Amino acid sequence: MTAVALRAEGLSKRFGDTDALRDVTLEVRPCEVVGLVGENGAGKSTLLKLLAGVIEPDVGQIILRGAPVRWRKVRDAADAGIGMMFQEPSLIPGISVAENILLAHEGPGIRLGIVRWRKLFALARAWLVKLGMTISPAAATQSLSFSERQLVAFARALAVEARTREAPILLLDEPTSALDDRGVAAVLQTVEALRTRASVVFVSHRLEEVLRVCDRIYVMKDGRCLAEREAGTLTVEALEQLMVGHEISTDIARDAARPHVAASVCLEVRELSRRDKYADVSLALRHGEVMGIAGAAGSGCEELCRTLFGIDAPQSGTMLLEGRTVALRDPADAVAHGIGYVPAERASEGIIGAMSVAANMTLAHLARFCGRWAIDRRREQDVAERWIERLRIATPSATTRASDLSGGNQQKVALAKWLVGRRPRVLILDHPLRGLDVLARRDILETIRELARDGVGIVIVADSLDELLAVSDTVVVMRDGRVSARYSIAEDRPTRQAILESMV
Amino acid sequence: MRQELAEFGAAAVRLVFALALAGAALPARAQALCEKSQIRLVNSMREITQPYHVNLNKGGRMFARWAGLEDNYVLQLNQGDSDKQIALMRSILATNPKCTVFNVEPNADVVMKPMVDTADRTGAWIVTHWVLNRALHPFEGHDHWIAHVAVNSQAVGVAVSEQLVAAMGGKGGIVALQGRLDTDPAQKRFAGLKAVLAKHPGVTLLAEQPANWDRRAAFPIMQAWLAKYGDRIRGVWAANDDMALGALEALRAAGLAGRIPVVGVDGIPEAIAAIDRGEMTATVSSDAFYQGSIGLAMGTCVLTGQAPPPQTWAKERREFFLRVVVITKDNAAHHAKEPAVDAYAGEWRCDNLWSRATGPAF
Amino acid sequence: MSGGVAAVLGGLRTSGPLLALLALTVGFALADSGFATLANLRIILDSAAVPLVLAVGMTFVIRQGSIDLSIEGLMAACSLVFALAVANDRTQFDLGWLGLPVAAAVGAVFGLANGLIVTRLRVPSFMATLGLGSIGLGVAMLLSGDQPPLVRDTPLRQWALGQTFGVPNLALAAAACLAGGFFVEQFTRLGRYSYVVGGAESVARVSGINVDFYKVVVFAFAGLMAGLAAAMESARLGLGHVEIGAGQMLGTITAVVIGGTSLSGGSGSVLGSAVGVLALTVLANGMVFVGAPPHLEKAIQGAIVLVAAVLAGWHVRDRLRIVK
Repeated sequence: MTAVALRAEGLSKRFGDTDALRDVTLEVRPCEVVGLVGENGAGKSTLLKLLAGVIEPDVGQIILRGAPVRWRKVRDAADAGIGMMFQEPSLIPGISVAENILLAHEGPGIRLGIVRWRKLFALARAWLVKLGMTISPAAATQSLSFSERQLVAFARALAVEARTREAPILLLDEPTSALDDRGVAAVLQTVEALRTRASVVFVSHRLEEVLRVCDRIYVMKDGRCLAEREAGTLTVEALEQLMVGHEISTDIARDAARPHVAASVCLEVRELSRRDKYADVSLALRHGEVMGIAGAAGSGCEELCRTLFGIDAPQSGTMLLEGRTVALRDPADAVAHGIGYVPAERASEGIIGAMSVAANMTLAHLARFCGRWAIDRRREQDVAERWIERLRIATPSATTRASDLSGGNQQKVALAKWLVGRRPRVLILDHPLRGLDVLARRDILETIRELARDGVGIVIVADSLDELLAVSDTVVVMRDGRVSARYSIAEDRPTRQAILESMV
Repeated sequence: MRQELAEFGAAAVRLVFALALAGAALPARAQALCEKSQIRLVNSMREITQPYHVNLNKGGRMFARWAGLEDNYVLQLNQGDSDKQIALMRSILATNPKCTVFNVEPNADVVMKPMVDTADRTGAWIVTHWVLNRALHPFEGHDHWIAHVAVNSQAVGVAVSEQLVAAMGGKGGIVALQGRLDTDPAQKRFAGLKAVLAKHPGVTLLAEQPANWDRRAAFPIMQAWLAKYGDRIRGVWAANDDMALGALEALRAAGLAGRIPVVGVDGIPEAIAAIDRGEMTATVSSDAFYQGSIGLAMGTCVLTGQAPPPQTWAKERREFFLRVVVITKDNAAHHAKEPAVDAYAGEWRCDNLWSRATGPAF
Repeated sequence: MSGGVAAVLGGLRTSGPLLALLALTVGFALADSGFATLANLRIILDSAAVPLVLAVGMTFVIRQGSIDLSIEGLMAACSLVFALAVANDRTQFDLGWLGLPVAAAVGAVFGLANGLIVTRLRVPSFMATLGLGSIGLGVAMLLSGDQPPLVRDTPLRQWALGQTFGVPNLALAAAACLAGGFFVEQFTRLGRYSYVVGGAESVARVSGINVDFYKVVVFAFAGLMAGLAAAMESARLGLGHVEIGAGQMLGTITAVVIGGTSLSGGSGSVLGSAVGVLALTVLANGMVFVGAPPHLEKAIQGAIVLVAAVLAGWHVRDRLRIVK
């Protein structure tokens, strides 16, 4: 048995005028889990895509089990036993779960071009069971929740095991980013179980998870491989230090006295209900207050946010802005009332990939940037550059296409969209830190606190309880569509455990 | 000197006199308006997939070849689009308008006026067919509108309907497939049917439906009628042969081909063959070869000066009805043959252009 | 919206086309007693045969996210080839029953060309098929010359006009095509992969599916269906005709849309399209029965399409759904 399962040697890749990867060398040994960490834009996704055959390297070689290989298409890599799980959802909505898991490698599920449904379902069920999932392989993919879909995508990466006699190599890009604690546990358990028969490359921003499950860790920055360490020798802080070069604390100091939290209420909802989503939700958000909403998948937090922004109308209850009752007809109405919204699904709802950074930023309040006849491009550019600097958005220029930025920077653009015009009254942030690295998170959290100091009322729904606790003034916990607990941080800061208990 | 002058004067007078006599003895020959090689012949019609139009074009080409102008022959197809017919005319008149002759089968009544106006304006020459427009006449100041060759569609309708009624023995039900109802022939032919039915109360009209002159549209309609009326249908009337043939196939599917009289209009070869076989009863032909060529012949005669300019023609030579022939089993065989140039050459002669006129159409 | 209404409307979405068909049938039966007879049922099946064959092919193309605007030209060319290949009044060929597969093969070749132009030259299917359709029409006109060739093959004509066990033969042929199409759609790799291509092409590519291959095969299949339909119609009418496909394109797409296949791809089934075809055929037939003017038929056809489209999208008509 060769000592090295997969080796990347001197890989480089350039997109346009950005160097995504520079002379990266990396090794994965049999039966080991290798972690890959780094900030946004460090090149982790690009490296994985090269290894999986999605793109071809400009320079360098990939050596699989001792022999150099060159992938022309993804199928070649898959047939050789390399399975990849992508960061963005990559399932086909209109087909069954089984078809998604086994897509393009159905094996005995398709004989002579004819689909044998029973066999296909049986094969898929085997993979689902390994992940502890109880959903039926015949279920329609579009009926699954976001986290269920991520698990199905994981199952699909796993399924590559059936294609090769050799030990498979699995490349997992942010496999736990959208999952709740239960899902995360299932994934980590599976990865650990995989160690006995496969190699795994595990990319994640959740450093605790990386440390827990990996044997070795590579740190990447700016397209290069900075360091390689044994996981046992590291702590989270040490890892962070390696990543950014200095120690970061995510715990942001807060003023004990909080003069910026006014007494007046900017947004209030009373007994808001929407069938099957949430019921009897009553909240009062004051000017300058940051209200964190915690809840597992299905607790109704996301749906509540959408209602607050006018996307889905509530079936009963009232909403008051500055003391006056409003019934939002649609998002445009909400924007006119001074409400902003940064959605959870950044790529599809937060930014418009094909447009430039500047154009994205001015989107929500375009009227302010119009001269008499047309859009004032100069003003748009100036404002965009100002915010790029202020939020430290890593982009070559304000005219770069938004889709060319890394995930974290895209998120900053999506946030800036609500800030470039008049200061909003209320800002609703739905999982704003998802997929962001440490530095980016700190930036966003700082910006949130600044906005709160300016008097903006902020509602934030987040995955990580630590971050919620770090930035919120009030924490509201939802479970099964109802508010199950309320905490005021200043008076009675809850423990992580307490919140978790209210969530489940 | 005086004697020479007197002789000169007498000779001059004699010369002038002789010339004057010579001038008077010459036939009323007009000035040639164009060089023969300049003359452009344009046949403007709907399309060329139906046999009627195929023969229109064939007739036009036959004439062009006979007149030595085959290279100057242009075919314009408008695919049933009136605007396109007008636009095509205008675009070709961007060059050489004064020596261009149009022979037009109008797509619908509405194209007549724009096309006549275009001819007047550009100096081109036009001969129209079919449509009867009560407000528009060539002799009312349209010097470039050489003639209008009308077909008495009502008379055609009457003729073919009488054949049908006779074949039915004067009683029973009939179904009628009409053409595009925004055209004069469709309306008039159907009116002819109505007139005949009024005289034969034993025959009833069970249903009528437009089928767009097209056998593919006629087929399902006829099928539905067969289902609805069953053996109450004792005769089928169609405003043109293509629809009649479509109905015939529906009858064939029901095992009734040849057992129920079917009539159409146009005289296309397929219909004539069907009549010969006994599957159709009658059709009426206005002779597409003639219609496709006579306008070009008239125009050529005027442009080469062999015929006087149209404004000098008598009114009934500028707007007249065309002679039609009813084809039944008796004369089907005779009409089935492909016509030869000699059959028409006589009628293209510039002094015989009105040989098929049956009377004024105004 | 109350739960009961929502549930009913949800059920309607999936059975909307069927309900439309039922409503039309009942309506016409009440309007005229002659409509609801066995004889007329046969006629309806006969009239629906050719559009159904076309719809099976078109469903696959639309499901995959493309569109085929070439069927009129394709049918013209195949009709001429068929008419000239079997016993006719112009050429010496007499292929008899082989004429049908020959016409289908010509259609498949055209369809192949469609597919290659779309995948190799990267021309959007809208334009590629429009262009190829015109070429087909031109070929047909060339072959037709002055006179459309008349089909003289008696057994073929009798087959096309006749019935077996009381069911029109062309309807039986169409039903076979429908069954075949359904099988391919649900039970073969081709059917599933082309569906995947329509639903999320980029994901399909990255997953390792040879997207281009399946696209080409689907276009060829649609061309094959068009060729077969042309041969059927030519055998029925007895001639090879350049206009044989006129009006079929819009009718086919309408039937497919009514049947629940979304024009943006990734949904739909040949069974739904079959219902759509039947609905339109019943409409045309019924209008003749009640003697309604033909332009009314077009208006009602349009209304049915709108209602079917609205019903199909009812359950997801929340504010943020993208409608183009």
